[in-house]
Amino acid sequence: MSTASETFASEPAAAGPQAGAVKLTMILSGAVFALMMVFGLVMRAAQGQWIELDPALFYQLLTAHGAGMVGTAALSGAAIMWYFCGRYLELAGGIYWAFLGLFLLGVVLILGAIFIGGYGGAWTFLFPLPALSGGAWEAGAAAAFMLGYTAIGVGFLLYYLELGRRIHARYGSLARALGWKLILGREDNDPPPPAIVAAAAVTIFNSIGIILGAAVLVASLVHLLAPGFEVDALLAKNLIYFFGHVFINASIYMAVTAVYEILPEYTGKPWKSNRLFAIAWNAVLIFVMAVYWHHLLQDVVMPPWMLVVGQLVSYFSGIPLIAVTAFSTFLYVRGSKMTWDLASALLVLSVAGWSVGAIPASIDGMISVNKVMHNTMWVPGHFHTYLLLGEVAMAFGFMAWLVRGKTIARMNGMDRAGFAIYLAGAAGFVTVFLVSGAASIPRRWAVHYEEWLTHDRIGTAFSVLVVLGTLVFVLRFVARLGRSES
Amino acid sequence: MQPVVLLISLTLMAALSAVFVLAARAARGPAPGPGANAKRTGLIWAMTIAGVIVSVASLREWPHALASTGDALQVNVSGGQWWWDIDTTEIPAGKPVNFNVTTEDVTHGMGIYDSNLTLLTQVQVIPGYTTRITYTFEEPGSYQLLCMEFCGVAHHDMVNEFEVIAAEE
Repeated sequence: MSTASETFASEPAAAGPQAGAVKLTMILSGAVFALMMVFGLVMRAAQGQWIELDPALFYQLLTAHGAGMVGTAALSGAAIMWYFCGRYLELAGGIYWAFLGLFLLGVVLILGAIFIGGYGGAWTFLFPLPALSGGAWEAGAAAAFMLGYTAIGVGFLLYYLELGRRIHARYGSLARALGWKLILGREDNDPPPPAIVAAAAVTIFNSIGIILGAAVLVASLVHLLAPGFEVDALLAKNLIYFFGHVFINASIYMAVTAVYEILPEYTGKPWKSNRLFAIAWNAVLIFVMAVYWHHLLQDVVMPPWMLVVGQLVSYFSGIPLIAVTAFSTFLYVRGSKMTWDLASALLVLSVAGWSVGAIPASIDGMISVNKVMHNTMWVPGHFHTYLLLGEVAMAFGFMAWLVRGKTIARMNGMDRAGFAIYLAGAAGFVTVFLVSGAASIPRRWAVHYEEWLTHDRIGTAFSVLVVLGTLVFVLRFVARLGRSES
Repeated sequence: MQPVVLLISLTLMAALSAVFVLAARAARGPAPGPGANAKRTGLIWAMTIAGVIVSVASLREWPHALASTGDALQVNVSGGQWWWDIDTTEIPAGKPVNFNVTTEDVTHGMGIYDSNLTLLTQVQVIPGYTTRITYTFEEPGSYQLLCMEFCGVAHHDMVNEFEVIAAEE
């Protein structure tokens, strides 16, 4: 993917002025990650009957945990990509502040909907559940929840509009920024760096995802106001899962820019775009939008060809990840003489976690397997693998790098302990989920049978470790940030 | 099927994790040689060929194929917040059963569990649609319907039972 003789991209002026906004975002992200993990810990402990939790409150926590984790993964990913695109583009700081303000407005609406209004319809707001709560919440709470999503979506569209506009101005077209000249073998004296290729692809697919998500949000809001207005539930489900799948994947594809931009500082080998890299990203652009049907493999009224596409793309989208991103990481690390500090260790771990998490996801993407694994604990098992050990590890690695200072030093005792606790906790936590899925335990159940309690209690113990590791990372970041700012 | 799926998944996950650990340990070793990109090409081909083989093998028989109505027992199941209603409480073993499933309100998921709490099959139940699956019960005994799609505050209480009886000789 690169040659060692090439030089690093110069640090442009735009990165500096917006570093403060990005650091603030990472403080918020770290705090919300920790809080949402505590919610997860409480839910696992309640399933294991170590604590008593009213089912209504359990499902409110479930909703907050899902929306909070997906939103924060996207927020941290967006901050990382904005930071590194600032090395190549002059991005308007006002847009970022508007994006962050709208995001926080959305958070306030969502938290109010859940913990004041009692909304507990899950982050997926599957139509028509928000309007049919069985008395658990009022229509106003569901509307506030969806207006919160709308505010966040508008913020993201502003973010992508600015990014797309600046990419177009700098590289002439999004096609060139996607590396089409590299793919076609044409000469390009100013090829887009990996962060820009990623930004161009994510700008396209996540904008489409958010717009389709907005369509189903508006339809759901109208249905709340005028229940006579009906939407086809299967169409709504398609729109929701298209939006949800694309949005959560975008968070990883934005955060991976930290790997492209930071690891070269450790290996001495810049991560450069080449033909294979561009092909991989263009494949991702298609795959990430075509694969969402793997969420609907048990919706047997869907046209069969869509389910077949869902299965095939589930598997084949793993090829760019494992053969390009993971394989390139092996090549970069091998023989690099790199120093393992917290940032580099977490970033390499993040590529590993992302790749390893793709395995149970692809296997669940087979229709015959999905028949006995769908909506069991297998599902949170695989997505927690590539989020907890993937996107979140990328975010924590980026945070560690932000406060690293100019010299690279090996991990001290506290860093090593934090890394080991987090890795052991997350690996154990997701393995328990997978074993529970294989034992047919359904997901999203507030109350568990006696036969399932051992799984829940072991999972709870591992989640304590995850929370402890996270606290080490976040508190370390805040403490060092204060030191470097003073 | 589930134990096999778990074993294959954990084996592959452990193998890929081991490759990352070896790569991290090789940071102090020699840099990759000129053949590295050829290995990548080989990996892409290997993954592609494996994918084609597994896809063909797993889709050759359509996993959602229904038994013909002449051969199968028809069982109608309807669901709502938070109940299942099944129009046949005793189902003969060894005979294909076509479940015709509907919902009166929100989306549910009908999961069929055996007495060991093992999930045998499932289908999503979408408002406005009748979803159909076929299943043949091999063993007589008690079976349960559990809701597999989050449907509100009593989702975990959406359970019903039915019996599978020995087929008449």
